[in-house]
Amino acid sequence: MRLRIVKAYFIKEMIELIRTKMIMMPYLMPLLIVILFGYGIKMQVTGVRTLILDNDNSQISRKMILKFEHSKYFTTTVENMSEKDALREMKKANIDAIIIIPSSFEKNSLKGVKTEIGVFIDASFPSRSTTISNYIQGVVMDLANDFNIDSRGVININTRNLFNQALRDEEMIVPGLIGMVLLISPAILTALIIAREKEEGTIFNFYSSSVSKGEFLVAKLSAIFFLVSIAIFVIFLVASYLFDLPFRGSFFLFWLASELYVFVALGFGLLVSIISSSQIIAIIVTLMLTILPAFMYSGMIMPISSMSGEAFITAHIYPVMYYNHIIYDTFLIGQGFNSPTIISYLLLLFGYGIVLFILGLLLLKKEIK
Amino acid sequence: MLEVKDLAVSHKKKLAIKNLNFKVDNGEILGFIGADGAGKSSALNAIAGVIRFDGEISYNEFSYKSPKEAQKVKHDIGYMPQGIGLVLYKTLTIKEHLDFFTDIRDIKIDKEFLEYKKNLLSMAGLEKFLDRRAGDLSGGMMQKLSLVCTMLHRPKLLILDEPTTGVDPLSRIELWEILQQSAKEFNTISIISTAYMGEASKMDNILLFDEGEIIARGNSEQLIEEIKPFVYDKIETDKKSITISNTTYCLENLENQHQEPTLESLFFVNALKKDRLLPKLQIAKSKESIDKNVVVMKATKITKKFGDFYANRDVDCELKSGEILGLLGANGAGKTTFIKMLLGLLPLDGGELELFDKKIKSSDDRNKLKSQIGYVSQHFALYDDMTVRENMMFFASIHKIETLKAIKLIDNYSKELGFEKYLDEMPKSLPLGINQRFSLAVSILHEPKVLFLDEPTSGVDAIARAQFWELLKELKNKRGISILITTHYMSEAEFCDRVVLLKDGEKIADNSVENFYKEFPDAKSFEEIFLEYFR
Repeated sequence: MRLRIVKAYFIKEMIELIRTKMIMMPYLMPLLIVILFGYGIKMQVTGVRTLILDNDNSQISRKMILKFEHSKYFTTTVENMSEKDALREMKKANIDAIIIIPSSFEKNSLKGVKTEIGVFIDASFPSRSTTISNYIQGVVMDLANDFNIDSRGVININTRNLFNQALRDEEMIVPGLIGMVLLISPAILTALIIAREKEEGTIFNFYSSSVSKGEFLVAKLSAIFFLVSIAIFVIFLVASYLFDLPFRGSFFLFWLASELYVFVALGFGLLVSIISSSQIIAIIVTLMLTILPAFMYSGMIMPISSMSGEAFITAHIYPVMYYNHIIYDTFLIGQGFNSPTIISYLLLLFGYGIVLFILGLLLLKKEIK
Repeated sequence: MLEVKDLAVSHKKKLAIKNLNFKVDNGEILGFIGADGAGKSSALNAIAGVIRFDGEISYNEFSYKSPKEAQKVKHDIGYMPQGIGLVLYKTLTIKEHLDFFTDIRDIKIDKEFLEYKKNLLSMAGLEKFLDRRAGDLSGGMMQKLSLVCTMLHRPKLLILDEPTTGVDPLSRIELWEILQQSAKEFNTISIISTAYMGEASKMDNILLFDEGEIIARGNSEQLIEEIKPFVYDKIETDKKSITISNTTYCLENLENQHQEPTLESLFFVNALKKDRLLPKLQIAKSKESIDKNVVVMKATKITKKFGDFYANRDVDCELKSGEILGLLGANGAGKTTFIKMLLGLLPLDGGELELFDKKIKSSDDRNKLKSQIGYVSQHFALYDDMTVRENMMFFASIHKIETLKAIKLIDNYSKELGFEKYLDEMPKSLPLGINQRFSLAVSILHEPKVLFLDEPTSGVDAIARAQFWELLKELKNKRGISILITTHYMSEAEFCDRVVLLKDGEKIADNSVENFYKEFPDAKSFEEIFLEYFR
């Protein structure tokens, strides 16, 4: 490895990226995605597994149960158990919501005496839990209308979110978005700067010189790695300040995991650039390979644990899931290096990057196709 | 010493070259000549070790059979692939290029190297433009910069694929001096393909390629001697023959005066040997009567500035109907800028332009005249993913030609211009010469009265070029079309009626070709006249 060659390519890439203004990409694109999605995503929910504890057993309470049962948004079971048992069920993730109708609910509400319905919602997916809470309120309001009860003053719905008490969409979405943009932008940029040399013919300078494959790759990738490494901090600041996310874990872990993850993304871009002969193909293939899977399998909109079959396997094959796990931990939980899962995921990411890089090294040929 | 044994290269299962055997000594300059697609580039790619091949190449004590094995000789190789400015990074300046190549070639920077670099730069005439970006250079300057970058590490094995295409005669001479000096001083092996026969004649040895094989070898005198019996003054004959300009080529004995052949004659004789007779290209006479000596384009003191730099300064120029006007000048002299202004692709910064007796002041004035003007650009603006026929239909519809009429026109022109059998192929898969003729057909679909051609013959082989000029003459004689053409082949200047010389954006001469020769009675060719003006 001759450092001089790496340096020469590094400087050349920087000049080119600056003069073609492509240098803005690792900064603008993630910001755009984070801001657009971070503010924009709200999700609809159906089939909420709901447990109703009817302590009143009156006409109104039965009517209410009927309304829940008839709604497509809820899959209702009515059972006679203690609040404690019900909560245990929720912890096992068997139910998403518990609705507790207090005794003398009918009597009080018809008399106009203040009464309170207790609601517990599993808020580990905040957007989902807000939606569920809204739906429940809708049903109750509808019921109050039917019986001419002033729902505002009389029936109070006391909602408690479990597992994510602050309940903010941003806390769920934004860390997931970081996993998405840190995959897409380095991958595209890498694919582009190699495919561009092929398209324009300057790749001949590499083909016909004594520059080795390793030198060429390290040189090319280090330029992007450098730029995206700065972007990691920018994105972190945006997440923390613009979206006001908590940060409970170790910053070092966040940084380390992000760099490893960018290394993996570079590997993706590298492989794409080897198979594509033009910049436009490189962009399209990279987008297809990164944007959808990063979104789908990030655990951002759907928990991986609730996936089944192929989806479950694909989610585990993609590196996104592992990185997101670490990122959620650093932002929301803070177990950090104490968690063996996180250590193993870090190693996994590193191994991933190494494998992709070696694959790229083997597939890259110093010859015209 | 370089030795090539049984070299074969295939492209998509088609053999591009086969059974290639030759040797080159240290300090020798070997030339590759041949038609487009004859296999020159494939052979050069293989020697440079950038394409898979069969056979064996030995360079000094090394021998390699694949690009991978060639890695160990790459240090000694300097390779410049075909294509103008192909190896240059458009956004990097000349200085940044030099630094980059110095580093990736791992050159030791000492006094000797700095001296050598300075020498190269001044020979190439680039030292004044160190801060200019490669993308802003003219084609010829790009080629010179590419060559400088290729030679920076003093390669012992120099492989150049048409390094002088698009380069003006003056720069070509300079480039050639660099090459000869390097061969002499550093004992470099040079393998160079070229389309300029003037250059080929200076090489120590020449290989003539045809259909992937070497069909003739020797130095220029030997090659010319071989074909002497087949070259005659122009004569009508029933025997198999090719007549171009005032020369007739025939393998059988003709009762006529022999002519002194040139290297270009090799191509025609070879075509005869391979029984590839040239189709007679003829264009139907226009029904309208042709007025001669009407001024169709008049430029008065046209000026174009880019920043402080005058690309054109006070250029006067007149084009009459039925006239072929050649626009000649060194690279960067402002030829393309001039044509672009005439076409309205660039606004004028000064001066006046009249087309068909109308002053052009706004784009409206010009739009009314668009139907009278045809244009073929340096790079043939065709769509690569449409067949020749589809391309022509598309351009016909742009010019609002009715479909039925368009079909008839395409049919006619493809027959007249001899590309009928290629109508349903993609332009990319066709030889440059065919693309060039079909671009010409596209540009005359709407029956313009004036044609502007910007280096239409660069990179096209001798036969295709000769045919192209025959066509231009037909257009002029039968249709009365006025033609303004730029070219780097000085031999083509002789086919023009009048020649305008541009230097540094200014007109320095404007005369008929005969008058030029009268002015310089000692000149043997137009190239010499050109050099008189530019030295």
